[in-house]
Amino acid sequence: MWFRKSKQWHVDVDVVVIGSGAAGLTAALAAHAARARVAVVEKADRVGGTSAVSGGVVWIPNNRHMAKVGIADSVDEALTYVGRLADGRSDAALIQRFVETGPEMVDFVESSTPIAFQALGRYPDYHPEFAGGKPGGRSLDPGLFDTNQLGAWKDKLRRSPVFGMTAMSVTEATDWGVFAKPAALPFGLLAKRFKQGLVCYGGALIGGLLKGLLDKGIEPMLSTPVRELIIDDDGRVIGVRAEQAGKELLIQARRGVILASGGFEWNPELVRRFLGGPLTHPNSPPGADGDGLKMAMALGADLGNMNEAWWCPSLQIPGEEYEGRPLHRGDFATRSLPHSLIVNRRGQRFVNEAHNYNDMMKAFFAFDPVSYERTNLPAWIVIDQQYLDRYALLTYVPGMPVPDWLVKADSLDELARAIGVDGKGLAATVGRFNRFAVEGVDPDFRRGESLYDHFYGDPEHQPNPNLGTVEKPPFYAIQVHPGAIGTKGGARVNASAQVVRVDGEPIAGLYAAGNVMAGVTGPGYPGAGATIGTAMTFGYIAGRHAAASARPG
Amino acid sequence: MPEVEYATTLPLSRALIWDFVKDMNNWAPFLTGYQKHEILDETDSVWTLKGDVGILSRMVNLRAHITEWVDNERVAFTLTGLNEKVDGGGVLVMEDVQPDAGGAPAPAAPARRPWFGRRFLDWLFRAMFRRMHGEAPKRLAAPATAGAVQSRLTFTLQMEAGGPTGPLVNAMLGPALLPAAEDLANKIAAHLERVHLGSEAAA
Repeated sequence: MWFRKSKQWHVDVDVVVIGSGAAGLTAALAAHAARARVAVVEKADRVGGTSAVSGGVVWIPNNRHMAKVGIADSVDEALTYVGRLADGRSDAALIQRFVETGPEMVDFVESSTPIAFQALGRYPDYHPEFAGGKPGGRSLDPGLFDTNQLGAWKDKLRRSPVFGMTAMSVTEATDWGVFAKPAALPFGLLAKRFKQGLVCYGGALIGGLLKGLLDKGIEPMLSTPVRELIIDDDGRVIGVRAEQAGKELLIQARRGVILASGGFEWNPELVRRFLGGPLTHPNSPPGADGDGLKMAMALGADLGNMNEAWWCPSLQIPGEEYEGRPLHRGDFATRSLPHSLIVNRRGQRFVNEAHNYNDMMKAFFAFDPVSYERTNLPAWIVIDQQYLDRYALLTYVPGMPVPDWLVKADSLDELARAIGVDGKGLAATVGRFNRFAVEGVDPDFRRGESLYDHFYGDPEHQPNPNLGTVEKPPFYAIQVHPGAIGTKGGARVNASAQVVRVDGEPIAGLYAAGNVMAGVTGPGYPGAGATIGTAMTFGYIAGRHAAASARPG
Repeated sequence: MPEVEYATTLPLSRALIWDFVKDMNNWAPFLTGYQKHEILDETDSVWTLKGDVGILSRMVNLRAHITEWVDNERVAFTLTGLNEKVDGGGVLVMEDVQPDAGGAPAPAAPARRPWFGRRFLDWLFRAMFRRMHGEAPKRLAAPATAGAVQSRLTFTLQMEAGGPTGPLVNAMLGPALLPAAEDLANKIAAHLERVHLGSEAAA
């Protein structure tokens, strides 16, 4: 921390927002709407943070768009559902604040930006069969965004290395069968859109939020890392010490500073210290290194949910990089489509592969106290030629050469040797799995039971859209790594998004939203866009509260 | 098929340029993205390059095959993707520029040398996939002298992605080709001008 003495401020605003992801930009919009003068500082040279490389979906229960897809919802249902997933590890008052405020946030964003959300009627919650769960509608698609609207800021919008080249809304991806019929996607249309400057997913969400901000005369300060929070003699946060072009930049925040700086998944030390499992392959941009979290800790912030992440099994194509670091691609469909399974070194399955990415990852961390090892790491996705004849895998689409980053073998035994897996175990597992596939029922792990599983399956595959035999050589394998979209432990906040100390009292002038904040859903992942939905909602709450707070004398 | 052509003029003879081009080691320090290569025979080689594809960077394996080599005049080649469904090729043409003849190029005596062509491609492919970091090679503004020797270097490059994703990949390849071609030609020119004309131009 840094106490202000006699130095002069370089910039004087009411609210400083640290970070330009969905939480930060929503906070800035909300603070501006409440008549605050706002500065957004971003350490990267691009706008958007982790949100920009994400699917861009926003999970908000009881949103008004659900009616258009014929799905009813209520606060009580949402509270029941989120409460169960939070597993008693989140503050009930925060869950309630999120559920009650989320729809208001959506309306605010739509009135403040070009974004027009569309409810994804067929994108189920991640546990749709739980009480209060829904078969769709809570996940909102930002659609497409024309980056030409950003003018000179067009090239400052962060692009996803995975989604950044295919301008296809989530609604379209669902309608077009992006998982089950990848070769039939309209690549000609996507090429045309690419040339036009259209973006989708997180690019569309951030593009729309940025456009709203620019229209209000607020330009994010890029390449401006914040080094410290500045407090006054009473311990109130009154500004930040940042750097810009190698020079110190002191920004006064008369009403508050909002941390929206992302998680700590790229900080190996914090990962080792706090997380419940080895997070080796984060999916976010490398800037998510916990700098904001450490600033809050330095002021005595209480912490919560620190052992949790938005887990996601991840795959890696050797040599692929993003911003100079290895690119880790989250796997959402390979493990859910027919003709695939996941095994450990014993050649055994250990989880419903098609289950939601956050919860299924936890099975990877199973610990054997006798051998003192994680029995399910390393793990491999095994597929056969039937899979490659029909479905996509990372950059591969049927009709393309078989990628050299897949381990290939003419027999299962040969494949097992190639990847260091017990051959007898793999043969037995695949034999049993194939019987399940023919019957269409997986009594071991219940793969293909849930509506969620089916969403990522092949609806034309019978008798079960998630189960297909693995029997046609060649066989292929790719290692699946522990990854995460981001961490979700951080500074604890109250229902006004104020960061609190261990005694529960707020640290005056300090707010948090997004992955730097202790996650409101605890260990759970309620549905697609829950990361961003909670982030934007608490960003909205923080922006409004900070703007309305009294200026210190 | 996305195709670009870029030409630049150097105040040097073709012989000087080819003397430089024929040894791939001359070019290596200029280029990034190169990972490894394997010479298969007199006309074919396989290259592993780390190139920028849109937003991310990835490894590309290409088989290069020289289809035509005319010493001091032209080299033509084809490219075949081994791990990506991409094909293409290119031609580099050198011409004498004779100011007295209105800039019309003079014909060169053909002399086929596949080995030199392969060396040229060694350099060529590495230049093609090298990332442009926004700063073009600095060319020396050598004063034009009446009757002075000049050569024109013209590089034509084609690349086309096939398969179902071809249209999308081509949309990304297209804008990347011209900078690659420009970079290729200008790097040659900048280096040779610095070596052969540096002291004159500075004076």
